[in-house]
Amino acid sequence: MPRLRTVAAVAGAALLAKRALRRRIQASPLWPMPALAEPTSGRPRSRALRLTVASYQPVAEGVVQLRLTGRDLPRWEPGAHLDLVLPSGLVRQYSLCGDPADRTSYTVATRLVGDGRGGSREVHEQVREGVELEVRGPRNRFPLVAASSYVFVAGGIGITPILPMLRALPEGVEWRLLYCGRTRSAMPFLEEVERLDRVTVMEGRPDLDAFFANTSDGAAVYCCGPEGLMAAVAERYPRVHLERFTPGAATGGAFEVELRRSGRTLTVPADSSVLAAVREELPNTAYSCEQGFCGTCQQRVLEGEVEHRDELLTDAERAGSMLICVSRARSERLVLDM
Amino acid sequence: MSNTPEQVPLKARRVSFSWEDTPLHWVPGDPFTTHTINVLHLLLPAGERWFVHVYKQVLPYIRDERLREDVIGFIGQEAMHSQAHDEVLPHLRELGLDPTPYTAQVDWFFEKLLGDRALPPGRARRWWLMERVAVIAAIEHYTAFLGNWVLNAEELDRHGADPTMLDLLRWHGAEEVEHRSVAFDLFMHVDGGYRRRVRTWATAFTALVFLWQRGARFFMANDPTLTDGKASFRALYVRGRRGTLPATGDMLRSIPRYLSRSYHPSQEGSTEQAVTYLASSPAAQAALAAEKGVA
Repeated sequence: MPRLRTVAAVAGAALLAKRALRRRIQASPLWPMPALAEPTSGRPRSRALRLTVASYQPVAEGVVQLRLTGRDLPRWEPGAHLDLVLPSGLVRQYSLCGDPADRTSYTVATRLVGDGRGGSREVHEQVREGVELEVRGPRNRFPLVAASSYVFVAGGIGITPILPMLRALPEGVEWRLLYCGRTRSAMPFLEEVERLDRVTVMEGRPDLDAFFANTSDGAAVYCCGPEGLMAAVAERYPRVHLERFTPGAATGGAFEVELRRSGRTLTVPADSSVLAAVREELPNTAYSCEQGFCGTCQQRVLEGEVEHRDELLTDAERAGSMLICVSRARSERLVLDM
Repeated sequence: MSNTPEQVPLKARRVSFSWEDTPLHWVPGDPFTTHTINVLHLLLPAGERWFVHVYKQVLPYIRDERLREDVIGFIGQEAMHSQAHDEVLPHLRELGLDPTPYTAQVDWFFEKLLGDRALPPGRARRWWLMERVAVIAAIEHYTAFLGNWVLNAEELDRHGADPTMLDLLRWHGAEEVEHRSVAFDLFMHVDGGYRRRVRTWATAFTALVFLWQRGARFFMANDPTLTDGKASFRALYVRGRRGTLPATGDMLRSIPRYLSRSYHPSQEGSTEQAVTYLASSPAAQAALAAEKGVA
């Protein structure tokens, strides 16, 4: 019967196909879907960590050093800083000044600033041994670049990001450090720094011209310290690497935002967010938490310098975008791709 | 009762989970249940990121202020879900079960296959957007189903399931129940075609079944503690009877409900139960405590 023969042939073919398929799947279980070359899932952002203050000790006049312990902490490179979430919710940034090889603790130092924004006062008054703090990062926007020679200028507490750099410099590379401060007693880590040669310590207003007199053009210059000091160094060396924790002049105040695609420019007042200002022009702008954690309002930044206040974006994402619900401009003007 | 999502303004909740103490088989002694639920961590990070991506584009089509607010809240919640599940993946890797080969494919699925295609502006682009909006509505039918299931899955507690993982699932499930009407309302608002609803349901259902069984098989085969790990429909059916996974019958019965012309998500699950859980979720409270800075 031809009919029976057809059915048998089809059944046989189906059986063979099924077997071939099974063998194929066994050989490579994830066949046949392609994969994304650079997967996005499973590589989370820097998470908030909860670390315990293991030690709290004064290291100079008005300066305390905190050692925060945890386990298996994320790695960091010299120049990196942490975001510390203080008990009141204030977020402040502190340079890591310990040993990058130590994966069980982070060390930071903070100076009590009388007229500061309250963050340092809170550290000095409320943080004690045993207190648990939320920490984000570490992030590095002050990385040590490869150069033939280095010049460091540190003012007071500004020594903190530079200290791990000095320890990490390769053997034999040429470097000099100018460490200045109000008085010797107010300069943290002075003893350790002075043990190194090639260090100039100055009290009071430093004589930058004398220090920079014979600096080669190829030297990488790093400066961290009070605003005045950084401005003075930047004047002599426009390519200087600066680490700034007190926000620039425009921050906190009003600034301008240009929305390039929609061709509009608006002013963000000091007491309002970029998001609020943008929503007046573009009501369809997506947002949700308004606290910088959900990432809904992320926008591409085309021009301008951003002061990131979110707790979500990675360094790579921060390079070209911002969360407009909380982050603000560091420059006077931002250009967004929206 | 109290199916009045309109009285609950949707908002992303801050959560914080710590995975250090969660074992590989977080339903003790039951790798199949563990891994079948673990598939969520494979699909959701990319999937919910895709929801957010699509919904951001659909905002300009919404002509109803309240719905717009809901969609915006929905976007924020989905963004948080995606992040929370994403954070489980490195933990699985630490436990010796690297999910990347699979998640890289899921990433491709959502970012390339279902991503923005190079279409001319106008009808084609709108068609593709509406198609995806409808697919999301269909998927949300299942996320609400699963959310409602996990909120009531007391059998998992009885089996000693890891409390952190249960909290992740229930926090997520509760928010899915809370916002279960948004995706469907949005679809009805911007398109609402019945043929499209059926077509996209078929697509979404097929894709879910395909990706889920594949994910479960992937986990079972690659689990370092299992010598001959296999996933089977029988195992699913047995766990469904026992109550550690959704019952097969319940899953089948949910199909005609979505396809019914009188379907509305508010008929499924209870907002009150969801909101009650959210108020007491340990993860939400941990995040709140962290915000206040108390240990």
